[in-house]
Amino acid sequence: MIAETKKTPAARYGMSIDVDRCNGCGSCMVACAVENNVPPAASGATDRTGLTWIRVFRIDNGAEGSGRRSAFVPVLCQHCGKDAPCVSVCPQQAVDVDPATGIVGQMPERCLGCRYCMAACPYHARYFNWWDPTWPAGMEKTLNPDVAPRMRGVVEKCNFCHGRWHAAKAKAVANGKNEIDPADYIPACVEACPSGAIHFGKLNDPATETAQGARHPDSFRMLESLGTDPKIYYHSKKNWVREISSAPRPGLAKENARG
Amino acid sequence: MFPWNYGFHFGAASYIFLGAFYTVLLVVATTIVNALWRANRDLSKGKVEDIRWHSDFHDLSAADRTCRHVLTGEFTSRECPHAFDCRQCETHARLIALHPPVHAAEAEEEIFGMSFPLDRMYHRGHTWARPETDGTVTVGLDDLGSRLLGTPDAVDLPQPGSRVQANGTAFRFHKREARVRVLSPVDGEVVETGGVDRGFFLRVKPLDGLMDMRHLLRDAEVKPWLMRELERLQLALTMEGASIPSLADGGVPVADIAAAYPHTDWDAVCGEMFLEP
Amino acid sequence: MVREMAKEMDKEFMTRGVRRCSTPRFLLWLAPWVAMLLFGAYSAGLCLVKGLNQTNMDNRYAFGLWIFVDLTIIALGAGAFFTGFLLYILKFKELRAVINSAVVIGLVCYSGAMAALMVDVGQPLRAWFTFWYPNVHSMLTEVTFCISCYLCVLFIEYLPIVLKNRKLRDIPSFLVFEFELHKLIYVLAGVGTFLSFFHQGSLGGLYGVLRGRPFAFREGIFVWPSTFFLFIISAAAVGPSFLIFTTWLVEKITGKRLAKDRVFDLLARISGILLSVYVLAKTIDTLIWINRTSPALGFTASQYYDWKPFGTWILFAEIVLCGLVPALILLTPRLRAQRAWLIPAAALACCGVALNRYVQTVQTLALPTLSFDKFLSYTPSWQEVGTFLGVLAYGVLVYSFSFRYFRIFPEERELKTEVRLQQEEEPVLAGRF
Repeated sequence: MIAETKKTPAARYGMSIDVDRCNGCGSCMVACAVENNVPPAASGATDRTGLTWIRVFRIDNGAEGSGRRSAFVPVLCQHCGKDAPCVSVCPQQAVDVDPATGIVGQMPERCLGCRYCMAACPYHARYFNWWDPTWPAGMEKTLNPDVAPRMRGVVEKCNFCHGRWHAAKAKAVANGKNEIDPADYIPACVEACPSGAIHFGKLNDPATETAQGARHPDSFRMLESLGTDPKIYYHSKKNWVREISSAPRPGLAKENARG
Repeated sequence: MFPWNYGFHFGAASYIFLGAFYTVLLVVATTIVNALWRANRDLSKGKVEDIRWHSDFHDLSAADRTCRHVLTGEFTSRECPHAFDCRQCETHARLIALHPPVHAAEAEEEIFGMSFPLDRMYHRGHTWARPETDGTVTVGLDDLGSRLLGTPDAVDLPQPGSRVQANGTAFRFHKREARVRVLSPVDGEVVETGGVDRGFFLRVKPLDGLMDMRHLLRDAEVKPWLMRELERLQLALTMEGASIPSLADGGVPVADIAAAYPHTDWDAVCGEMFLEP
Repeated sequence: MVREMAKEMDKEFMTRGVRRCSTPRFLLWLAPWVAMLLFGAYSAGLCLVKGLNQTNMDNRYAFGLWIFVDLTIIALGAGAFFTGFLLYILKFKELRAVINSAVVIGLVCYSGAMAALMVDVGQPLRAWFTFWYPNVHSMLTEVTFCISCYLCVLFIEYLPIVLKNRKLRDIPSFLVFEFELHKLIYVLAGVGTFLSFFHQGSLGGLYGVLRGRPFAFREGIFVWPSTFFLFIISAAAVGPSFLIFTTWLVEKITGKRLAKDRVFDLLARISGILLSVYVLAKTIDTLIWINRTSPALGFTASQYYDWKPFGTWILFAEIVLCGLVPALILLTPRLRAQRAWLIPAAALACCGVALNRYVQTVQTLALPTLSFDKFLSYTPSWQEVGTFLGVLAYGVLVYSFSFRYFRIFPEERELKTEVRLQQEEEPVLAGRF
């Protein structure tokens, strides 16, 4: 469990993702896998059984021919608010919302692998280890020593590169500071994105770009009607992109987004 | 797990939830331990035979548990509440006081062609008990029981010196596929054993003073009881698939009834008649 | 000679007065089920050793065949607690005829479900974590606790059935322990009812609390969504029906009559009444869900049924075909008196519950939530089917063994005469024409 830090004021880390800037390159997906020791796909894995803590989807406006427009949306754990659907359902209390950072944390060591949290998550942001993790010979040299790999049979998901938060915290403490330097804590996907589409920062600090992006009128969150209060804000000037925040409408498939 | 653990949240809901479960577990554990303790106590107090009979009695069909006073017409229907131990029964004591037993001279010895001597008292499990002059009681199988037994394949008698209990096991026998225990009519210590050819099976000495035999049938009670028993035998034979001429129209059971019904489940018939479900 | 002795010994363990098939024939009956069990063990073994990639479940279909089957057999095994409650607490004496069968079925259903669950979770050795770090707000914790406790209770209720075996009974300590335990059976029946109430309910609550799945999410009372109560009612309704069905099935397979008509009648009446209550409650709940709950979460209910192949026919089948129709049949005295109507009605009711559990597990996961989700399908792999067949075989084996050596149906002996009388009448009739 995560300690409740009483000395520093609580942060509410979130992201503001500019969909218009995302070109679907997938660097964020690669950087995330490298940072977090996500094993390469086992033989027999499909796009439905792979581990992709962040995953870029392609959406289009449903029009045909020359009127067709596409966009790319990176989807990761939305780090919902205090009533995150996955927190209350875990029978072992292996999931919690850290009051100090707002990060929804997953404890793979305690996870039983019942997959109830996966059923609960509407964003499909949780991934199960269907195989034992194996790295091809030589690749183990690329493993990140700050992040524990997960065993077979447990659930994992994005944790805003919590290992980097710990490193930033340690550095701040070593320098005698209370709060961590924002420059020290940048998740891998944010760092890797070549177009700078992803902004990461404290949502409760109005000065950050993230908080400003979140407040922008063109900002939306996915499935807001469910009341999950996610901390990932998406931003787009295009109306048809903003429509992905709402529920799927199979009858209106032509105008709406297709995965 | 515990409230003082690092970061573990223990609220009112936790107390209610865990409290409920551990209470349930406690109740279940207590029940088992209670049952085990009582069982242990029963074993050490030698109540095995008593319990065996009570368990058997509980499994008998309702018709087989009829009170003796229904047989003599004093009740229209009544189920025995004391597992045929009339010594405990207040109703029996009351009825005996109200209707004293019929004079011996009015009772019959020959009933339906079978002999039921008047010098002995009968147990509903088809044994008889005859008090002897030296204070002991002789125990044997009545005429119907003997005909059911016929020539047994084996008889398993208790050792002299062992104890028997009223409504407990007197002895066991094997006959064809039948493996049955016969109920003892009296309490006491076995002093002598007999056999099929000797006319009795056990001689029993009472443990303290006189033998209480209020629970046994005698005199005029025997005929209505026997009539019922013959009906029960007929029903048992029918249930086991024997097609038989009705006994009620005057047919007499032969000396070895089993020989007349070679394909009938003799274990089931004997179990029925000797009150072992 | 040895064969004769073996047959003799076998017979000594059988209840007095009832006929059982010969030992070789019994072994022949057991053989295919043992084969199925071994296949099931192999399938489960593969999943445990190689990992859950042996199944066709994936990140979208986190729950598959096993969870659906588990929920269904737990609902069908509800006959155990409900019959116990009706007999020992409400004193419906006729049910003495089927209580032992209900207990065996319950034991088999719950232990089978637990076995399947242990294969289903990614880390079975961590099962004790739920007991050590319980999250009291999670429905699954509630389910785990209740089902574990209830399984213990079922084992304890099965014990007297075993100890009353003809040969085992001769052992004094067994005899005496069974006797003392039976005196306290009402405590176990009460505890069983309490536990079952909660776990049948929490199994419903599992899906009703999922805010992220508007298809399954329901409002309710306090912390319990309406599915909590609906699952309890449906389980109580279908328990007696399943008992009717299994008793009839065993009668057919063994060629014996095992329970009197009035027992079937009583079970049918109880099932019919509860099924009607369920249909009413479910209809009201569905209407509230369609008109209020789902739209409040931004999902219109009609859209769920646009995703082929899940059309509104499923709702109709669940509530009308497998709910209202069997309820009406079971409530009509003239119809339920005939086996030709009674058995299909009972079977339909069981199918209705299976369909309901399917809708809650598989359909909930099949339907997309994100607007750019695709509708995906899932078919179980042979390993999943194999494991399920293993559980089924285990159930049949335990039941067969229990039927042969224990007094599962106390009325069997009485009913022997009736069968024979019927058989004797037929030749007479044949002679007339």
